[in-house]
Amino acid sequence: MTVSSRNGRLTPDQVQSVSFPPARFGRRGLDEETVFSFCDQVQHELVTLLNEKASLWEEVERLRRRIIDAGDPTGARPEDAHIQAVRILSNAQQMADKYVADAQEYSRQVTTDARRRRDEVLSEAKAHAERVLDEAHSRASRAADVVSFEPGSPASGEWRDRTAELAYLRTFSEVYRTHLRAYLETLLNNVEDWEQSEKESLAAARGELPFPFPPGAQGQSPPPAPGPTSYSSPPPGSSPYSTPPPGSSPYPTPPPPSPSSPPSYSSPPSYSSPPPSSSPYPTPPPPAPPSSSSSPPSYPSPSPARLP
Amino acid sequence: MDVQRLQESFARMTMHGDAVPLFFYADLFLRHPETRDLFPVSMAAQRDRLVHALGRIVSDAGHIDALGEYLKDLGREHRKFGAIAEYYPYVGASLVATLAHFNGPAWTPELAADWKAAYDRVAQVMIEAAAEDAGVRPAFWEATVIAHELRRFDIATFRVAITEPLHYLPGQSVSMESAERPRIWRFYSPANAPRDDLTMDFHVRMIDGGALSMVLTRGLAVGARLRIGSPVGMLTYEPGTGRDVLLVGGSTGLAPLKAIAEQICGLPDPPRVHLLFGARTADGLYDLTDLEKMAARHPWLTIVPVVSDEPGYPGERGMLHEALARGGNWREHDVYASGPTPMVEATVTQLMALGVPRSQIYLEDFGWSEP
Repeated sequence: MTVSSRNGRLTPDQVQSVSFPPARFGRRGLDEETVFSFCDQVQHELVTLLNEKASLWEEVERLRRRIIDAGDPTGARPEDAHIQAVRILSNAQQMADKYVADAQEYSRQVTTDARRRRDEVLSEAKAHAERVLDEAHSRASRAADVVSFEPGSPASGEWRDRTAELAYLRTFSEVYRTHLRAYLETLLNNVEDWEQSEKESLAAARGELPFPFPPGAQGQSPPPAPGPTSYSSPPPGSSPYSTPPPGSSPYPTPPPPSPSSPPSYSSPPSYSSPPPSSSPYPTPPPPAPPSSSSSPPSYPSPSPARLP
Repeated sequence: MDVQRLQESFARMTMHGDAVPLFFYADLFLRHPETRDLFPVSMAAQRDRLVHALGRIVSDAGHIDALGEYLKDLGREHRKFGAIAEYYPYVGASLVATLAHFNGPAWTPELAADWKAAYDRVAQVMIEAAAEDAGVRPAFWEATVIAHELRRFDIATFRVAITEPLHYLPGQSVSMESAERPRIWRFYSPANAPRDDLTMDFHVRMIDGGALSMVLTRGLAVGARLRIGSPVGMLTYEPGTGRDVLLVGGSTGLAPLKAIAEQICGLPDPPRVHLLFGARTADGLYDLTDLEKMAARHPWLTIVPVVSDEPGYPGERGMLHEALARGGNWREHDVYASGPTPMVEATVTQLMALGVPRSQIYLEDFGWSEP
């Protein structure tokens, strides 16, 4: 985004009213490039102001010298001219101070807002991951229970356990596949939407071609490049991150398992992932949460109990 | 010299508020444009500092000797800004001109003479302290960034190399300026004990809208140039008390404590050390990996990460002062705390409630004058 007024100068009003588009495809928060480019503009404006201030300053000095040299025909004393110069310089300095303060306040607001949004996105993602995990676990446990207590199954405990485990894993991975499929479909829809909007804008651009250019003249005069412009404005809601269909997972990475604990559905909290060989997901699971670091052995109170 | 008259004329001037320093600096810069380079683009903070420093000097003008240490500090501190002896008379002349302007008809030749005499004595103390300091160390140390790592989107650690030795005590702070933001100095603590290879580590958390911290976290690359000022600060390790040590650090307040822990690493008979390192969320424990490596090498060192705002965090949860209350009996410990002011205050209150004598609690004293 480029903010500009008629003379290409940035005004305090523009600084106050500027808005930024959300980040592009695949990211949350404000669009970084736009924010940085705006900061460049603010910086450029400050430099211009400072240069103007310096030349005003020189002008003041020049005029002051002239008054002194001319023996002051108007009757004003050189001291008055100096006071005048002090006043002008003070005003210029105050203006520069205000610009710096405005720019700083603006960058404070932008970063505070970005920080807040980041926290929101992270906690939403965590909550979502937990829901998916809970759902997979509870369904898989039910499936395992059904197998364990199926009438007519052989009495051998080990065999029954294995069957139950298999049922658990099957259901677990099925739930995951469902989420993954929904997510990939959303992505695919987005690509299609994108493609569609590109086609439409291309057609619109052709339609707007000025009269002297017949349709066949495109070889000599290429149409306005539709790529980047149409990419930046897909139909609302088409971002894979902003509005996934209900129940779909917008997060491609499975929740963090703890690889150290062997699969055992009898201890639900640690049962988070099938063995790596059976994993249908391209992304390897992230490492286990800190364990050794969280409760140092010699710390007097290693209990992670919450506060009362 | 009539001190009361001096103070009355000062009061007549200061009732004009911000117009006073505005006039003073404009007068100075118009008469001696070269002095403008000593100041940052925005003079807003500078104006407050000037009035504050002048006010302190004038209110104690009756006993200038008592001001000695303050003035000497001021003189030494101004070296890094590029203040040279030649500029002091310029400042004196502009100060008198400002007083004359705002005193109007109340200004007399006697007042002018008194002010000049008072200023000259103040300037002499500052100039002498600066000259003495110049015999011992540079005005500032030129530093080059040799490594920079963004540990979280708003927390960076970086290492600089300096060319001349900088003697500081672990736990102290140094002021820092970036070429990207000329004349804006902020204090940071080296996160290491002094090294022979003249490198120093710094931990910086971005303050939203912060003039320098935004540059140091996201705007630095290897090769960037910084200037570093003389070390200051009271948060230094007291060896030989025979007591074990508790270090309590919130966020990048960790830096001075890590330096102290490194210093203890070098002791022949180190005490037992517990380091409580707190953050809002686990990703705020930006230096935990390094700390744990350190603890693995030194059995006397225990690291306790504490997270306050992440319910699922598997380790110690809660605020730092809550975690240390659960941690047991610290009465026989020397405690060093550093971090955001509310955290440090809560820690001190908690420790004292737990029976730790105040004399065993070491904190940074932020009473030094900001440049």
